[in-house]
Amino acid sequence: MLLQLQNIFKWVNSGGQRIFLLKDINLKVKEGEFISIMGPSGSGKSTFLNVIGMLDGFDEGSYDFLDESVHQLKEKHRAKLYKEYIGFVFQQYHLLDDLTVQENLEMPLLYKKLKGAERKAMVADMLDRFNIVGKKDLFPAQLSGGQQQLVGIARALISSPKLLLADEPTGNLNSKQGEEIMELFKQLNEEGVTIIQVTHSEKNAAYGKRIINLLDGRMI
Amino acid sequence: MIKNYLKIAWRNLIKNKAYTVINVGGLALGMAVTLIIGLWLLDELTYNSYFSQRHRMAQLFQSQTFNGNIGTGPAMPRPLEKALRDGYMDNFEYLIMSSWTNDLYLKYGENSISRPGNYMQREASDYLELEILKGEKDGLREINSIMLSESTAKALFGQEEPIGKVVTASNQYDLMVTAVYKDLPYSNSFKDTDYLIPWDNYVNNNQWVKNAEDNWGNNSFQMFVLLADNVGMEQVTNTIRNVKKDLNEDTAEFNPQLFLLPMEDWYLRSNFENGKQVGGRIKYVWLFGVIGIFVLLLACINFMNLSTARSEKRAKEVGIRKSIGSQRNQLINQFLSESFLVVLFAFLMAVFIVVLTLSGFNELARKEIEFPWSSGKFWLISLGFVLFTSLLAGSYPALYLSSFKPVDVLKGTFQSGKYSGLPRKILVVVQFTVSVAFIIGTVIVMQQINYAKNRPVGYDKEGLIQVPTFSQDFSGKTDLMRSEFLNSGAIVEMSTSSSPTTRIWSNRSGFNWEGKPEGFQEDLAWTEVSPEYAKSLNLKIVEGRDFSREFASDSTAVLINQTAKKYLGVENPVGMLLMDDDTEDPNPPLKIIGVVEDMIAQSPYEPVKQAMYVFDRFDNFSYYNMRLNPNQSAGQNIAIIERVFKEHFPEIPFQYDFVDAEYAEKFAAEERVGTLSGVFTALAILISCLGLFGLTSFVAEQRTKEIGVRKVLGATVFNVWNMLSKDFLKLVIISCFIAVPIAYYVMNGWLQEYPYRVILKWWIFALAMLGALGITMLTVSFQAIKAARSNPIKSLRTE
Repeated sequence: MLLQLQNIFKWVNSGGQRIFLLKDINLKVKEGEFISIMGPSGSGKSTFLNVIGMLDGFDEGSYDFLDESVHQLKEKHRAKLYKEYIGFVFQQYHLLDDLTVQENLEMPLLYKKLKGAERKAMVADMLDRFNIVGKKDLFPAQLSGGQQQLVGIARALISSPKLLLADEPTGNLNSKQGEEIMELFKQLNEEGVTIIQVTHSEKNAAYGKRIINLLDGRMI
Repeated sequence: MIKNYLKIAWRNLIKNKAYTVINVGGLALGMAVTLIIGLWLLDELTYNSYFSQRHRMAQLFQSQTFNGNIGTGPAMPRPLEKALRDGYMDNFEYLIMSSWTNDLYLKYGENSISRPGNYMQREASDYLELEILKGEKDGLREINSIMLSESTAKALFGQEEPIGKVVTASNQYDLMVTAVYKDLPYSNSFKDTDYLIPWDNYVNNNQWVKNAEDNWGNNSFQMFVLLADNVGMEQVTNTIRNVKKDLNEDTAEFNPQLFLLPMEDWYLRSNFENGKQVGGRIKYVWLFGVIGIFVLLLACINFMNLSTARSEKRAKEVGIRKSIGSQRNQLINQFLSESFLVVLFAFLMAVFIVVLTLSGFNELARKEIEFPWSSGKFWLISLGFVLFTSLLAGSYPALYLSSFKPVDVLKGTFQSGKYSGLPRKILVVVQFTVSVAFIIGTVIVMQQINYAKNRPVGYDKEGLIQVPTFSQDFSGKTDLMRSEFLNSGAIVEMSTSSSPTTRIWSNRSGFNWEGKPEGFQEDLAWTEVSPEYAKSLNLKIVEGRDFSREFASDSTAVLINQTAKKYLGVENPVGMLLMDDDTEDPNPPLKIIGVVEDMIAQSPYEPVKQAMYVFDRFDNFSYYNMRLNPNQSAGQNIAIIERVFKEHFPEIPFQYDFVDAEYAEKFAAEERVGTLSGVFTALAILISCLGLFGLTSFVAEQRTKEIGVRKVLGATVFNVWNMLSKDFLKLVIISCFIAVPIAYYVMNGWLQEYPYRVILKWWIFALAMLGALGITMLTVSFQAIKAARSNPIKSLRTE
């Protein structure tokens, strides 16, 4: 069991009323799964993903990640946990504009306090694997959207996470680029990476082995 | 990791050039001010550090009470020396009698110069730790010897060997050069001591000094001591406090209290009020220290404000880093190393600025400060300074930026909350409070100086020169010289006086007069003058008459000033006699023949002292006072005077001072403070405005979309300008209302030190506020109008 969410509630108070963002979510994810989360705008997909990724908290319920109770952890511990096991891919890529491709890839390794030589080797490995060696000294602004997302995924994978969380990874890409990214996900999943993605597209959702539908914060 | 941080920081700086210039430039300016002030403080605080024994060195002072007022000074009577040597010498390693530092004519061959120096006892050479370049250390052993500073020896002898040569002093007595010592450094109480002559020589050559040997009432000498190893300053002070009082009945009524003033206090804490030590120059050390810290604070506030204002731009980076696994403290480290880089950069620029401006500053502050390139201590302190500043400037942005929640900023819904701008606003208020207070302070200092400058001096100081006549050669020749100078056409009148016009060198007591109150202890300024004194100075006679050569009886006549008339408490002073209260061997009584207008001879900030101008019977004068011929240029006049002077006194160097220039010297200290604080205020305002400029541009950028929408809906340029400026003006107005009471309180306290002082008027404060508002408007408007004029289509399309 990779992670387990039980009776998760999340809400905000607005004008004396409680508005639920997530309502009674229960989910078990085993290692090696590929899950697609679908739902209309505002159904809580991204919130759900952020809760799984520990970027966001929740108000009620319990969340166990690799047998650790996330809801009882302090921020520092949580950060350690997701640094170790989780990689993020964003719709807007979120590369650091001031760093080159190579430096962007290196960043997570810096936070893991790896040695220089080790970092170099791993970055070179990734560049090689994603066929972007020629672009290593370019800045994000000099790349196309698809290439940027490729770098984004490479950055998410460089620290070999057990779980890859992707929030509309193809949302800003054209269909051909989108397809390439999804093929890459499929391939990664076959190599053993657990993937949870949020998507609007039926077609992309179909790459997942399991599809979760959300509506107004509830799983249906 | 650090490398990664610095890389990002560097690229950030390069990318936002305007921001970098404002940030680094402003910070560099602030640091330069702080550095210069720091160097100045160091120079002030290490005054006299030349002396390795300074912790044990002291000068004797005494406090005496006259009519309930306690006066304190270093002047000592001669018999005290014997008393201390006989009974208290185990407290001192050295006890050295010294004259005041006086100018002396020195002549060798054709060459004659005038230099300041002291007559001191033999141990002085050791005491002053003189570095002997030639000759012997114990150079004051023989009574007819003289030790010269290196520069004096050079001026007198040029390339010739000075040791063993005979120089003539004051054209009267010969002295043999026994030693040449290295000039003492400039930040030193003895920096003007260019020669040393044995004390015994002083006694032998001056009858009045000889006469003072047993006179406890003649306080005319200095006494320096080096304490013995095993005693402390206070302990010795307690031992000797009443020595004079106990040994001499005549002066006991003044309750003379002896004490030691440690060398460390000579320069910075030498002011006394009613017998209590009340500081002195140390107040300027504090003042500029505070200014330095404030200017640095202003620059740091800019840094904080601009960094946090740019937070929206950095928010994304924070979000990404956090989602990738950065912990908050790592981000704090990152932002701190960024600020360190900026501060280091600014520091290097500041050093550059300081090196460029140091000579100008030295001129302003009358210092000879050098940049301490080779001082390891300086660089170490500087490193600490850089670290401190980067913490000061970087801590707030670091804490603020690192607190962003990744979800918020990455979703793109990040908005700084309603109160996120509050700390920034508070900082702007702090900045402008300091700036406005600086403006008010500077204006008041300037006003006070002008007020004192415009005070009527009582005589005509323009076109008046004084020529020192410190030699017996001048005796008996006054009338001759006066007619020679008058005939030359260079002057219209000449007189002599025993003190310069702008000083009081002597005070007298011991008079009796009709109606003197019981127990009244009088103290009057005493100047001996020739009959034309009032005429040459254009000093107005308000009662009675001036001296006249026609009355032989005027040789015992005296003029008093208006204050003296009040002081003596007589309705009609003219014709009154001032009797000597020494009944055994009295001087003839002095007859008051007239009252002259008060003239400022001492501090222009104090009331004029009661003074008497006595007919100079014994040629005790020290100066010629000459009223120049107004129909010729001063240069022509002086050339003629010098020629006539040289004809009669070829051996004596001709020197002169313009009295108005001498008088202006009295304002030097305050003017320096005024100018310096003016400069620092200007810089403080510049720095604050730089920050405001940057801040406005960011706010305008932040609200681009809003401005676009408003313009599409019909807002005019004025509406937009109003919207953007209003917020800042409000802050500045708040600052004004905080600054005014603070400035009022501080400046009112400062003015209390001056009995003659300007009255604080409300419009000074109003003016400072208006000034600050005006500057703010200008700064803000530039950006606001630029933003308001931009094409709304462009700004909306970029969204």
